[in-house]
Amino acid sequence: MTRTIWLGAVAYDPKVVTIWEGMRRYFHEEAQLPVEVVLFQSYEAQVSALLAQPDDPAPRIDIAWNTNLAFLQAEAWSQQRCRPIAMRDTDLGWTTKIVAVNGGPVGTLTDLRDRTLALGSRDSGHAAILPVHFLEHEALIEGRDYRTLRFNTDLGKHGDTGTSESEVVRAVLDGRADAGAIGSPFWQTLRSQRLVPEGALVEIWTSEPYNHCMFTARSDLDPALERRFADALAAMSYDNPSHRAVLEAEGLKRWVAPRLDGYEALREASARQGFFKRPTG
Amino acid sequence: MKAHVELDAGAKTFASGLLPELIAALRRVRPGDLIAVTSSEASVGVDLEAWCRFTHNSLVDTRVEAGRSRWVVRCGEAPASADAARPVGSRLWLYTNFDCNLRCDYCCVRSSPKAPRRALGLERVRRIAAEAAELGVDEIFVTGGEPFLLSDIGEILLACAAAAPTTVLTNGMLLAGWRLESLRSLPRERLTLQISLDSPTPERHDRHRGKGSWARALRGIERARAEGFRVRLAATVSSDAEADEFRRFLDERGIDEADRVIRRIALRGFAAEGVALARADLVPELTITAEGVYWHPVGAEDADMLLTPDIFPLAESLAALRRAFERENEHRHRLAAIFNCA
Repeated sequence: MTRTIWLGAVAYDPKVVTIWEGMRRYFHEEAQLPVEVVLFQSYEAQVSALLAQPDDPAPRIDIAWNTNLAFLQAEAWSQQRCRPIAMRDTDLGWTTKIVAVNGGPVGTLTDLRDRTLALGSRDSGHAAILPVHFLEHEALIEGRDYRTLRFNTDLGKHGDTGTSESEVVRAVLDGRADAGAIGSPFWQTLRSQRLVPEGALVEIWTSEPYNHCMFTARSDLDPALERRFADALAAMSYDNPSHRAVLEAEGLKRWVAPRLDGYEALREASARQGFFKRPTG
Repeated sequence: MKAHVELDAGAKTFASGLLPELIAALRRVRPGDLIAVTSSEASVGVDLEAWCRFTHNSLVDTRVEAGRSRWVVRCGEAPASADAARPVGSRLWLYTNFDCNLRCDYCCVRSSPKAPRRALGLERVRRIAAEAAELGVDEIFVTGGEPFLLSDIGEILLACAAAAPTTVLTNGMLLAGWRLESLRSLPRERLTLQISLDSPTPERHDRHRGKGSWARALRGIERARAEGFRVRLAATVSSDAEADEFRRFLDERGIDEADRVIRRIALRGFAAEGVALARADLVPELTITAEGVYWHPVGAEDADMLLTPDIFPLAESLAALRRAFERENEHRHRLAAIFNCA
């Protein structure tokens, strides 16, 4: 009999319970794979559980549904022994957008000099870590060339909730910031749902693409189990109505094999900004 | 509505440079101040509303004159309300009449001795109370105008108190003679008198409400208490300093927190100054007048607060209120539903 796979996810919203209940049902009833889901309050706790040893007091999980930052931290803190398993099709090709007031003082990146840029939670790859990093490549250094207005809300959730991005946009719309950095999915939703006045904000810059979430396996997980888990994910079909409900809630059409080419910028940025310093205690 | 800053947008829209001007105006005002935007582009209204919702400012007035629209925005959030956690539909307000023996200069529904009565009427009140009990309303507030001007106020309050614990809002000045007699017949455990007293000393109260009204209100408070009724004191103030002063006054007299209401003057009705409020600032409380069903007792004769002219069935009025509340919260819900990592 297959042993239970303990799967971790971070509960940043009540809907997370529903999503993982649906995933668990799929694993049990269709994939015949005994998966149990453990919900954490932060990615730090989840990564600790992924790295926990048998004699550690922390809970242990076999697989974590990680943000890009949590995936890279797990990889770094396990000496690259944690393994990527799968990701959503929608985790590919994210970008960060810098948006500014249409007709305002900031129309290009150069205009950011001596201006205020709003950033999301400091542990958000797309709304804080990466924009600061990419701007460095454009010779714009935080504190030296531009000021920042940071909204460090929902720390530990790595920018999952969108709360800090909402604050970023609010700050640009009311003039507390001259521009703001947000993820491309947030920006697309704002515009498609007309949550901001039409034409009020303009994109002044788009980052290079990068990737987002990743299922990550603990280093000593039986490769056969890991393979069965990945195969089960791959067998989920958007054309199957019961699968589709879960996939839509989770924000994807299909699970895809890991694409590791979209993490280098965040790896470099996280190292420079101190995110690979392992928390103690 | 007079604004602190007038912004003539001409034909500009948000897509053609209006936002930098709006932000510049915002930088010139203080929280609570009003900015008026005038435009020949009616479409600006939808976008201005979206901007207000996102930035937590409030669109408090919209007028169209001679083909140009004028929108008034209150800058900054409204003072926090203690009502935010109360379930929608748990409170019911009845404006029994709009005439009043006083003409308070801040009255949010323009009541005065000259105001037409526009009475709700005993029969309608009885039906409302009966249906409210079925709908789970757990508090009824009877207000006006001055409810004690009505000859059948005793029966009105009796009908309400039979349905739910009831509070009657009064200036306390008419609690004598036959009115006091009718009050005596009412159940003490189901009826509270909320009597207006705006300041610890007569000056400010009398300035707003009329000479001698403070002393008569105080006598009304004493009479109601002497009859064994629970009395809640309600002050309408224009600043935090006035609120603090009144709070100290109540503290010195040992008035329980549950028996005090201190609120800011709302820029509605007769008020020339005060906090400009829109629907979005107020948690809705089902409010019924002779003219129909309103969002909240503040502004219960203003078109922007009217939900429907049809009072009955009351269940449908309550459903309309809940639907309107959902629409009001739609922006917030849609924004909160954006997740990056599901």
